[in-house]
Amino acid sequence: MKALEVKTLTKRYGSARGVEDLSFDIEKGEIFGYLGPNGSGKTTTIRCLMGLLRPTSGQCRLLGEQVIPGRATQHTRIGYLPGEFRTWPGLTARKSLTLLARLGNGDEADKRQEELAERLDLNLDRRVRALSKGNRQKVGVVFAFQHKPEVLILDEPTIGLDPLVRQVVLDLIREAALAGATVLLSSHDLSEVAAVCGRAAILREGRLVELAPISRIVQQGQRHIKVWFVEGSHVPTLPADRLPGVRVIQQNSNTLHVAYQGTVDALLKWLAQFPVDRITTPETSLEEAFIQYYRREDGHER
Amino acid sequence: MAMNANRRTPFPWPLLRFWALRILPAWFLIALMIFLFQLAVCGIVHDNARVKALLQYIDMLPFIKAFIGGDALQFGNIAGLIAIGYQEPFVLLLYMLFAVGVPTALLAGEVQRGTMELILSRQTTKTHVYICAGLITVVGMYALVVVMFLGTVVSTNLYEFDQEVPLYNFFKLAVNGGILASSVGGIALLAAACFRRSMAVSLTVAFLVVNYFIMIITQGWPRMKWLDPVTIFNYVDWAKIFSEPKWPVSDMCVLISILFVSTIAGGVIWSRRDLPL
Repeated sequence: MKALEVKTLTKRYGSARGVEDLSFDIEKGEIFGYLGPNGSGKTTTIRCLMGLLRPTSGQCRLLGEQVIPGRATQHTRIGYLPGEFRTWPGLTARKSLTLLARLGNGDEADKRQEELAERLDLNLDRRVRALSKGNRQKVGVVFAFQHKPEVLILDEPTIGLDPLVRQVVLDLIREAALAGATVLLSSHDLSEVAAVCGRAAILREGRLVELAPISRIVQQGQRHIKVWFVEGSHVPTLPADRLPGVRVIQQNSNTLHVAYQGTVDALLKWLAQFPVDRITTPETSLEEAFIQYYRREDGHER
Repeated sequence: MAMNANRRTPFPWPLLRFWALRILPAWFLIALMIFLFQLAVCGIVHDNARVKALLQYIDMLPFIKAFIGGDALQFGNIAGLIAIGYQEPFVLLLYMLFAVGVPTALLAGEVQRGTMELILSRQTTKTHVYICAGLITVVGMYALVVVMFLGTVVSTNLYEFDQEVPLYNFFKLAVNGGILASSVGGIALLAAACFRRSMAVSLTVAFLVVNYFIMIITQGWPRMKWLDPVTIFNYVDWAKIFSEPKWPVSDMCVLISILFVSTIAGGVIWSRRDLPL
């Protein structure tokens, strides 16, 4: 059984676009990355999955059941962290979390709250209004994990957290998946998606532009070559007509940094005409692959 | 673990309790003011010298006099004078403060604060959330009316009056007034279900001001009497309640209809609407 399914989901806000014809599914126990820039429709998808928004068409299924907006039939089994976690400022973090845990199967939440707070170095007895932004986000993390959910839907879970705490959150995600939980991780931080996710979907302007294993997404990106020419020789001008898909990233007095797609053969043959001192091939990052997806629009660069 | 798709989501009692406790200080303050106001009114009207001074004062404000009892405010009409405490604009303002403030704070306020997203992400349906807000509003309003009636009961035991005070009629007036207050709560719920907090408060206050204005006009200007049925304040007619032994069933039905229609419409809109989270 799929833990989470999105079938031809479309959500429009009047004439404005939310998401358009999205389809993907997530296996049980999988950590799935959900990537996209601001306004691409990540939060809209998540809110449709949570039954907080009514889809214009299509449907979402969670743990085998269709999501009916506003009905919350599966919500005891879901841990949710909204993109902007805000809770009652006048309550202590503990009271706030306990209230939310009680609105469901929160019987074991108290003990788990303590464990999570300790790992995140969070004081649960301070009023929320007195907490820093990072500490409020930690409260949100505790909220999502405190009832040991079967599905975790996390919208930017590490936003505002310092690198150490980010690692703790990523560890929590890995541990939850190892224990059998399914995780949908929406993020801008591509390194964290690469660190924990097996597969990812990339969203652009409300549409899914890629759905593949992280390794394949990385391969989709441009590769780079940095060339040092022999001292005293000039750096040649790149013949754009003969080398399609190759572009200059940086050019100095004796170095040329270029990005290319496809094979390197044509580029190397062109470089062979010049006095090359050495060549390096910087590792392609997910970040670059990701940016590449946003540069392309119907096959052209923006 | 297998789950039944058709199972019911349990009622969110913790949310009801949490909201009730949050509203309690404001409710207690308003209830105390209403209670003390009843004591004050009875304290004034049991003293003949003060009654004369009061009536002279009220005679200078014909619109206010029309609103709080009109010609029934006469020396010797103790029931009519005590009823001032039920219709005085200050008391009505306190009721309306609760009726407008509570549903907008609970529904639109939680949405605006961002906490509604958290509540709805737990095992809580939108309908249950709406019912919680509705229960607190309607029960709270009714409880205020009970406090007001208790104020009269306590006052009549504290002060001696020349005539017997018809407490049963005051009870009828309180029940009818409670329905009026609840129906205003229903209108506020409808507004809170449809709009953001500031808009919901503005619309409910505008609704009340227009109704109040129409009532003042029709009371003071006989040619505009035909507008009487338009204002909700017309459906709590204390003179009729005191003069007729029957309960004002038709008036109560109109107010209950407003309460039901507005509350149900609000519930339908609330459950179908995408919240501006």
